[in-house]
Amino acid sequence: METKQYIGEGWKHAILIIGAIVVMLPFYMMVSMSLKSQQEIQSISGGLIGAQETQTFPVCVKTGYSEETCTMKPYQYNYWFAFEKAPIPRYLMNGVIVTLSIFIIQVLVALPCAYALAKLRFYGREFVFSMVLFCLLIPVHGIALPLYVMLAQAGLVDTYSALILPWTISVFGIFLMRQFFMTVPDELIDAARMDGMGEYAIVWKVMLPTAIPALLAFAIFSVVAHWNDYFWPRMVITGNRDLFTPPLGIREFRGGIDSDEFGPMMASIVTVTVPLIVAFIIAQKRFIEGITLTGMK
Amino acid sequence: MHNSKAHIWFIAPAIILMIIILIFPLFLAGGISFTDYNLGNKTFEWVGLENYDKMFNRKTYVKMIWATATYVIVVVPISVVLGLCAAMLLNSLRFGADIYKTIFFLPVMATLLAMAIAWEFTLHPTLGIVNSFLANGCGGVREFILGFHWLPWVDSQESWYAVACANNMDFPYWLKQKNTAIWTVCFIGIWQAFGFNMVLYLAGLTSIPRELYQAAEMDGAKSTWEQFKLVTWPMLGPTTLFVVTITTIRTFQVFDTIEILTKGGPSKTTYVMMYAIFEKAIQQNLTSIGAAITVVFIGFILVLTFFQRYVIEKRVHY
Repeated sequence: METKQYIGEGWKHAILIIGAIVVMLPFYMMVSMSLKSQQEIQSISGGLIGAQETQTFPVCVKTGYSEETCTMKPYQYNYWFAFEKAPIPRYLMNGVIVTLSIFIIQVLVALPCAYALAKLRFYGREFVFSMVLFCLLIPVHGIALPLYVMLAQAGLVDTYSALILPWTISVFGIFLMRQFFMTVPDELIDAARMDGMGEYAIVWKVMLPTAIPALLAFAIFSVVAHWNDYFWPRMVITGNRDLFTPPLGIREFRGGIDSDEFGPMMASIVTVTVPLIVAFIIAQKRFIEGITLTGMK
Repeated sequence: MHNSKAHIWFIAPAIILMIIILIFPLFLAGGISFTDYNLGNKTFEWVGLENYDKMFNRKTYVKMIWATATYVIVVVPISVVLGLCAAMLLNSLRFGADIYKTIFFLPVMATLLAMAIAWEFTLHPTLGIVNSFLANGCGGVREFILGFHWLPWVDSQESWYAVACANNMDFPYWLKQKNTAIWTVCFIGIWQAFGFNMVLYLAGLTSIPRELYQAAEMDGAKSTWEQFKLVTWPMLGPTTLFVVTITTIRTFQVFDTIEILTKGGPSKTTYVMMYAIFEKAIQQNLTSIGAAITVVFIGFILVLTFFQRYVIEKRVHY
């Protein structure tokens, strides 16, 4: 019996390891290419990290740098040259600006509304809630075209506003927070009112602190979605490099796939992809919770 | 009861934004789809159903429907079944489950666009490790397994693998060939989606009470398969329904991989709806036809979601 179980366990691991290899393939390819020299990439040699021989890179010399500057190990060159060629910090900063603005506005709009829907009694509350439920059905990517037309009419294409505005309302956030606030005991709010707190103070000083865990999960959900989003930025940002979010940057790097060197290109892609992946590996549990939030509906 | 008017200030911003950003665009898309309006035009004319007529009769749009349907019909069931299998395997492991979980969830997290490019290189005919792996395996075990030579009806001289080996390593140009492009894109879709489903199924599995398995065993369901049929599958009903709907909705919205890898080609075999909206309305400035596609697209999604709600209410209560 014992040995049979061990054999079973062994088979399971065998299957899962094959699966894991297939899943990791592009990650391997990406990291490997960002470390190797062009020759090694083209001849598919050198394993994961290549030989790392110090050499002079011709493309770099052609760009106008001195031969001395252009002599280094492939991995150094790839990452150094990637930052020379494209304003990667700018792209990353845009990503941070856009995702944070979206998240903060979403919370500013959703939290009071959720509080009102959960804890205040007023005429029309049921109607507002059913409106929220209806809006949950609308996929924002689906209505991208009319939104684009509206933004274009308002002259907002190619601005930060275009990247942020359509996402300022998160009906999912309202719904989630409302469900959460329903579980907060009324006594807590009554006590706050007795202390003379106004409704505004209650929302931000009493409700917000109790909602931190739910808010954190929602933050991850929102930030991951918008950091990775490519469709919407692609629609509304046409050419202004200063407004490129990380995915648009990635697209630009890929531009010269036939002529360019692959090493620096992959290095830029790795740089842009890595922050989220590292964050994920550090705070795995929270991330999985946050991203599968939609599973709580 | 307090009688402040605070609630008005609390709900007003949300209501206004919902109307402007979510509800009005629905009507706007509907309206534009009956006109010949293009962005930048001063005037427009009502053209009735002309845009829809084009959509269902012109070859391009028929291909669009085909590509979208193929993608959804392939990706949804496979990624759901893979997610379930992975979840059940992980659930029965004695050790190491967390590592696999992390690995399988990575594609969900990573920027899809970056990963699409990584796949492009992985599958590249001359630079990619997949084709070099295949080429190095000619005449060996890899050919035997991947060429399906172990199936009794496959002739070991005629299999796709053997033919490619014989023709100077003529392995597929995965993303560039008419007969493989859509399947390759589907594969990337599955690769990306199944980890998400796995996590939802893992949550579903932990909520099944242990006693049910004991009870099933007493009733004579000894084998894993019998227990699966008797307990696991029915108990996972609500999870499955949810997973299928959400995967379908996400799958319908596929865009990133198409835009960066195939641009809808070769010969429109991967011309999915979101890409069609983008190409027609934004790149070619044919706003009205884009709006018609949008309306059909939203129609699909709404029908699906209503279906889910309805079935959840009526059926899946065990």
